[in-house]
Amino acid sequence: MGDVPQGKGSLSIAAAAGAGLAAAQAIAPRAWAAGSDIIKVGLLGCGGRGNGALRDCLEADPGVVVVAVADLFEHKARGTKSGIENDGRFKGRVKIPDENVFWGFDCHEKLVKCDADLLLMATPPAFRGRQMLAAVQAGKHIFTEKPIATDPVGCREVLRASEIAAQKGLAIVAGTQRRHEPNRVELMKRIHDGEIGELVAGQCYWYGGGIWYRDNVGNMSELEWQCENWYHFTWLSGDQICEQHIHNIDVMNWCFGGPPVKFTAVGGRGCRDYSAQAKHVCRQLNGTEEGWERYNGDIWDHVLAEFEYPNGARVQSFSGHGPGSGRGGERVYGTKGTSDCWVSYWGEKSWKYQGRSVDGQKQEHVDLIASIRAGKPLNEGRQVAESTLTAIGGRIAAYTGRTITWDWLLKECKLSLVPPQEKLVPGPGFFHRIATGADELV
Amino acid sequence: MTDNRNAWSHSVRPDGAGARRGLTRREFLKAGAAAASAALGAGLGARTAHAAGETIRVGLIGCGSTGVAAVRDCLRAPVLLGERAGRGVEVVALADPFEDRLEALGAELGVGTSRRFAGLDGYRELCALDGLDLVILAAPCAFRPVHLASAIEAGKNVFVVPPIAICPAGCKLVTESSAKAREKKLAIIVGSERRYDPATIETLKRVAEGAIGRIIAGQCYWNQGGLYVRPRRIGEGDVEWQLRNWRYFRWLSGDIIVERHVHNIDVINWAIGSGPERIHGLGGRQYRTAGEYGDVYDHFGVEFFYPNDVHVLSLCRQIDGSDERIGERLVGTKGTTDCRGRIEGENAWVYGGPGGDGRVRAFAAAIDAIRKGEPVNDAAAAVESAFTAVMARESAYTRLSFKRSWFAAKCTLNMLPPAGLALGAVRRVEPAPVPGVYQIPGAA
Repeated sequence: MGDVPQGKGSLSIAAAAGAGLAAAQAIAPRAWAAGSDIIKVGLLGCGGRGNGALRDCLEADPGVVVVAVADLFEHKARGTKSGIENDGRFKGRVKIPDENVFWGFDCHEKLVKCDADLLLMATPPAFRGRQMLAAVQAGKHIFTEKPIATDPVGCREVLRASEIAAQKGLAIVAGTQRRHEPNRVELMKRIHDGEIGELVAGQCYWYGGGIWYRDNVGNMSELEWQCENWYHFTWLSGDQICEQHIHNIDVMNWCFGGPPVKFTAVGGRGCRDYSAQAKHVCRQLNGTEEGWERYNGDIWDHVLAEFEYPNGARVQSFSGHGPGSGRGGERVYGTKGTSDCWVSYWGEKSWKYQGRSVDGQKQEHVDLIASIRAGKPLNEGRQVAESTLTAIGGRIAAYTGRTITWDWLLKECKLSLVPPQEKLVPGPGFFHRIATGADELV
Repeated sequence: MTDNRNAWSHSVRPDGAGARRGLTRREFLKAGAAAASAALGAGLGARTAHAAGETIRVGLIGCGSTGVAAVRDCLRAPVLLGERAGRGVEVVALADPFEDRLEALGAELGVGTSRRFAGLDGYRELCALDGLDLVILAAPCAFRPVHLASAIEAGKNVFVVPPIAICPAGCKLVTESSAKAREKKLAIIVGSERRYDPATIETLKRVAEGAIGRIIAGQCYWNQGGLYVRPRRIGEGDVEWQLRNWRYFRWLSGDIIVERHVHNIDVINWAIGSGPERIHGLGGRQYRTAGEYGDVYDHFGVEFFYPNDVHVLSLCRQIDGSDERIGERLVGTKGTTDCRGRIEGENAWVYGGPGGDGRVRAFAAAIDAIRKGEPVNDAAAAVESAFTAVMARESAYTRLSFKRSWFAAKCTLNMLPPAGLALGAVRRVEPAPVPGVYQIPGAA
């Protein structure tokens, strides 16, 4: 693992998918013929992103119909069903029988038994490994939101799911949508062709404002409330470097053709404060404010990481939430030029993308459906698992103050944050203290 | 990365015990003998000219770990100039707020009680002594600009341990003192030991000649474990306790990025040929949260934006048990360098000359300058590096990205020690800066 040409492989697969769209019309392989057949979709995770992904998928191909929805909460599953049924754009393409509305912590186990061909996964990332394994074992194609795990154990589950998918000819496309923007695909092809020389440095950023906090407990149990506020807990979200900054980290891995070999980072939680809401939540759940701190969440608010790639290049990652100046995007430096990793590069040679702008969040579904129809299923499982693990590596380096390696992370790290499925029942939540910067390596 | 430990007394305890161990008994005895013989003579008569090999009479301000380490290096310096060990330098006067330190170091160095100056104002008396050739400034960082001004005013050559200042007002005062030093033909040597380290000098010379091509990017680090804490004694006043643990208090040290990481930042500024144009930092106090650690952060991560689109990452940390990495790295179109003796790439090269100990070499330069009457002046570069570190700190406290020009025009931060500071005064520990709450003075 970690061999350099991996990303190029992904790139060529992505390019093949584009070609596949045309090829699909003519060749009509496997079960799907000429775009006329139906692809049945089930949605797992009915939050904002899940509803967005469902609509993106429906818009991607007229043959897509939605047949099932699942969520931790019944009202969200039902709300998504009625919402999409009443969305005029998709008349006749919403066919969700009542028995295909699933909820509960085990809703994915029920969902994989329905007759969907493709599952869209948009729950919090903690559960993705087991969800994807269940899905590929049931023969489902997968669209998965990023990240795909919050710990190395989860990443390994997805790597295994990815191998099974490859054996079974199932697609896995991930919501690291930058890989599906034609400007970046074209740019990366040129970078990999050496247009800016050997890559020797880079930067990637995602520092922005704060996030939502859901302080109305209603009739939720503590664990359900925690899952509703998943971003605030590292075991559920992976922390911001993983949940959000993965987009930029993924671009760096794409540039360098694979993950880094070494990680060093600093970080902390200096001003992420939800104490007023946390006390409110504590009163609702426990009738007292005592012990409110746990509801403040345990994620940090800044991490500055350095990733060292196999060729010795060091890339800076700058992420967090809070006050001050926002940052975003990526840069990569070669011996002969510099690129914004977006639409251009400059230096000895310069280039600017002139093609049309395409929304990667929509295009990823177009490419996914096309690849399924073409009988050449895209499989981005390994790539998104590697980018997730890269982000997790940055987090672990910061939480522990230790410099760690990719090999250790991939093969030896025992960190397992997500409780086993049987322990996920409405009841007490799972809480960890905030990392100190000197935590023990697990 | 090789072990690039290189700062003043970074491995010693705040009370100087570690450094004192570093100075052998033999060296101390010799130094003491030299000082004693001077005391037997005509006292400290005023001198204007120095012959080669003539003994340089030194006064030390700040007798904690930093000062002890400085004296150790100073006493070793004449050997580098071809003199016999124990000759060439006499430590003849000491100033420190605390009697116990004066007594300990004074006894070891043979400095008589009449030239041990206690109290927060003792430095004034030391600077006023006739016949001092060199004053070493090794008090907590905040005092250095004030002590520098006093020494230059009194017509003394100065050796100052970096950082030379911890705030814009301090930088300004140093710049003014530096101008006066030029007028008076006095030397200001800054103990940025890398500036005097032959491997670094030769490496950066090659970099300047294009050995790694055009510089594209860089990194600098001071990641280390924790430091010692000197527990508060019963009845010890706020100011005394904070002075004895000064690295943990921002008003004295300027925080870790200024107090320590300035060394690495200085090398980057030197290599690139200027300070950064823009800065964006993050930082916090995540591990060292107990009261004994005062109000400093325990980590910073900063991006420096140098001219020509060169971005440099800076990481610094003081956390127990964390992995150490201290040093710098520059990336160019034709190779990379560790800035201290190794170049990789098209022009691969390894330094094979004499070894480091830039701190001792800095003192040798000071002694040489004094004897030759050459008013060497390192202040400008040291001010720029201190200013760079100060900007980084203020950026991290606010998480604001800002330009150097904006900061220089707006920031009114003045951390010079308050007038009338008394050892027994009440001084509460400030909360560590909270981003979103903390505001840069003058720039809000």
